[in-house]
Amino acid sequence: MVIPATTLANPLRAGPRLARVPEPSILVIFGGTGDLTSRKLLPALYNLALQRLLPPAFAVVGAGRTPMSDDQFRAELREAVATFSRTKPLNEEVWASFAERVRYVSTGSPEGYVDLARTLAALDLELGTQGNRVFYLATPPKAYEPIVRDIGLHGLSRAGGWSRVVIEKPFGNDLRSAMHLSEKIHDVFSEHQIFRIDHYLGKETVQNILVLRFANAIFEPLWTRQFVDHVQITVAESLGSEERGEYYDAAGAMRDVVQNHLLQLLALVAMEPPVAFDAGAVRDEKMKVLRAMRAIGQDEVAERTVRGQYAGGFIEGTKVPGYRGEPGIGTLSQTETYVALKCYVDNWRWEGTPFYLRTGKRLPKRSTEIALQFRSAPHQVFSRDASAGLDPNTLVLRIQPDEGISLKFGAKVPVQGVRIRSVNMDFVYGASFMVDAPDAYETLILDALRGDATLFTRRDEVEQQWRFVDPIVEGWSADQTDLPTYAAGTWGPTEADLLIARDGRAWRKP
Amino acid sequence: MSLVTDQSIWGAPASGVAALERELARMRRVQSAQAADQGHVVARAAVLNLIVHASREVHARRAAATIRQLSQRHPSRAIIVHVDSERPPGFEAALATHCLLPAADAGRQICYEQILVRARGDSDERLASAVIPMLLPDLPTFLWWTGTPPVDQRHFDDLLALADRFIVDSADFARPDVTLQQIARICEGGHGRYGVTDFNWTRITPWRELVASFFDAPTWRALLADVTGIRVGFAVDADGRDIHPSQALLLIGWLASRLGWRPTAALAPSEAGGLLFSMRRADAAEIQVRVRPRFERGLAEGDLSGLRLQAERAGVLTEFVVKRVPGMSHALASVSTDGTLVSSRTIPLPAPSVTDLLGEELTIAGSDRIYEDALAALVRLA
Repeated sequence: MVIPATTLANPLRAGPRLARVPEPSILVIFGGTGDLTSRKLLPALYNLALQRLLPPAFAVVGAGRTPMSDDQFRAELREAVATFSRTKPLNEEVWASFAERVRYVSTGSPEGYVDLARTLAALDLELGTQGNRVFYLATPPKAYEPIVRDIGLHGLSRAGGWSRVVIEKPFGNDLRSAMHLSEKIHDVFSEHQIFRIDHYLGKETVQNILVLRFANAIFEPLWTRQFVDHVQITVAESLGSEERGEYYDAAGAMRDVVQNHLLQLLALVAMEPPVAFDAGAVRDEKMKVLRAMRAIGQDEVAERTVRGQYAGGFIEGTKVPGYRGEPGIGTLSQTETYVALKCYVDNWRWEGTPFYLRTGKRLPKRSTEIALQFRSAPHQVFSRDASAGLDPNTLVLRIQPDEGISLKFGAKVPVQGVRIRSVNMDFVYGASFMVDAPDAYETLILDALRGDATLFTRRDEVEQQWRFVDPIVEGWSADQTDLPTYAAGTWGPTEADLLIARDGRAWRKP
Repeated sequence: MSLVTDQSIWGAPASGVAALERELARMRRVQSAQAADQGHVVARAAVLNLIVHASREVHARRAAATIRQLSQRHPSRAIIVHVDSERPPGFEAALATHCLLPAADAGRQICYEQILVRARGDSDERLASAVIPMLLPDLPTFLWWTGTPPVDQRHFDDLLALADRFIVDSADFARPDVTLQQIARICEGGHGRYGVTDFNWTRITPWRELVASFFDAPTWRALLADVTGIRVGFAVDADGRDIHPSQALLLIGWLASRLGWRPTAALAPSEAGGLLFSMRRADAAEIQVRVRPRFERGLAEGDLSGLRLQAERAGVLTEFVVKRVPGMSHALASVSTDGTLVSSRTIPLPAPSVTDLLGEELTIAGSDRIYEDALAALVRLA
């Protein structure tokens, strides 16, 4: 973890109780009037203020194309925070004090950035923020490039302090565009200043994967091809494309979920122990996994991948339309809403162990989990009848909802004679710790303000992820057959069941 | 309270550890069966043992209510030891597993187990022997002592020997000036076997946070070497009863231990009530310290009401002020130079309940060196 030396040097911060608060700084949010700002960023900032985790000298500057006064902007944000904050009701005094240091600058006109520079300089002077800035790009992706260019042109990132840029996903839509974008950003920021968001990494339980693996000595020896039969990673959503129709139809499940969240989860599960819990070491190890992933070439697409699109069906008893009937989706859309992959990590630890990944919309329930299924006992001493109820040992890391860890093993049913049944040893995260875990955005914003990039994706990771995904997408687009469908509320197309059944295995029901 | 144990709070009686464990197992089975009827699975979770010592029934009940509220966050086996020295010798153990209703979406219940050990008469020597077999193995043990710990008694030493962490509340001490010194000695004697903490220390965490955050800014941090005075206000009630300012002194002890201040003379009462004394900085310059009682509605006795740190460099006086807004759950933190306000902000400062305090302490394992240093500095002041 990179701790700013100036904060470390505060002798009053010593000890376990006082959290490290970021240095004096200004957060500039581009897309200040957007959905992400009002649903996620501002509620997260307000909750950080409630926990006293923001520095005393701190301001938020919203930038957007719509002309608006500071007061109008504050009023909109107040409304948003009151609606979307995880803590309610709104603490008026804390909000008022926070809002005093909220500004709005319209960057719709050519003078916009001059205004912005002036506003930031005035705040530096007023608050003593010393030119320290975080630029948060919460805009549609096509605006990233021009915004970064303008930040550079107007010298906003060179104001005497440090500056960082936070970029939302999607980062590019293929390898070429991602590389292009990184290069354009590098014109203004160097890599250590760039914080690419994958909000999955901000989740408590995702960070807990690393704690489970590397703070405990008992799991790691089992975490290899010798003991693990295969790994299943599932990111299931019950929602449809909803309001994001236009974006989603252009992206599809592969770009929306597999390229980032699923591959990041795989990297965390498969990585070697890092030498330290810091940005360099953790990301180096993740990168090694991504590089070790066996490519799925166009000729293997049919064998190792399945895509699907949901048709009409039922979710929790309610009738829902098919994908092509959703708002903003064409009736002939060939966009996949479901992906299943069979992957391999070609390294010493995982050679020959399949990683089955799947994600989909309109699956029966919302669930994200990682399951390691272990090999069966090499020799079964109990009779076939006795062990009929015995499943393979499975370690399941549940990411959401109902975060926790469970281990399945066989136990004797208390009757005369031997009858074996699988039982679950269950650790429910919420039951052992505080129920109220911080929101992923709180964690990530705070880390960006502190300059800790451990939970953000580095350029080489993003590019490697695209390098894996691109050939599959190309293979699909070369395929002229209609893509398989599945009824909303089922666990995906039959082809996906066949993908894993061919190996004598079956998908879990998370 | 009556001689009869209230079974609605403490559960059914079971004499002996074996009977007690049998009864707990029976209740777990009943719960599992009931939960299964509703399609749930009861997850038995426990992350710690908590021994609570109470010498009054009312404290025991209050502790039981606190632990019940915390069971969602800290599933535990709670052993409440109620020592009632007025009663004839002998033990009576009553136990109950309490299972809170599951949250609507979770579909799971969380159990915690509450055991009451009620000791009557002279139980000094035998108390620990009743508690030891009830502790769940392999889990950390917290000992929460309500009231003043009797450091000269056998059962105190015996219970402390079981603990990984020892929790007191100096707000409840009969003679804080005396007992805090004893606690400091217990800290020294712990040698890493157990950590010690005080709810009054937990109460001032937000205050320490606010003071520390002034000096995150490098421009202000330099002034930590130039502190010339500190004033701390603490709440008293209207009748002017003498209140020991433990929180205020811990805060000053903390600053002194972190910044290398030394006492120059013993604490002396000031004319206006409270304390007025001086300390020396590392460079031997003098720091005026003033601890003032204030009557303020909405504050518990001894709680901090405000503080002012003064620093002087090159003839410029900079003041760092935190002031609790009376009757509200927030404070104003401001900085001014030579009387001109430089910055000011409103910060949430809710008054924590005992449940909040205990919940916070149960998340910390091991010893808190910063507290031990602050306490040692406080003791040197007296």
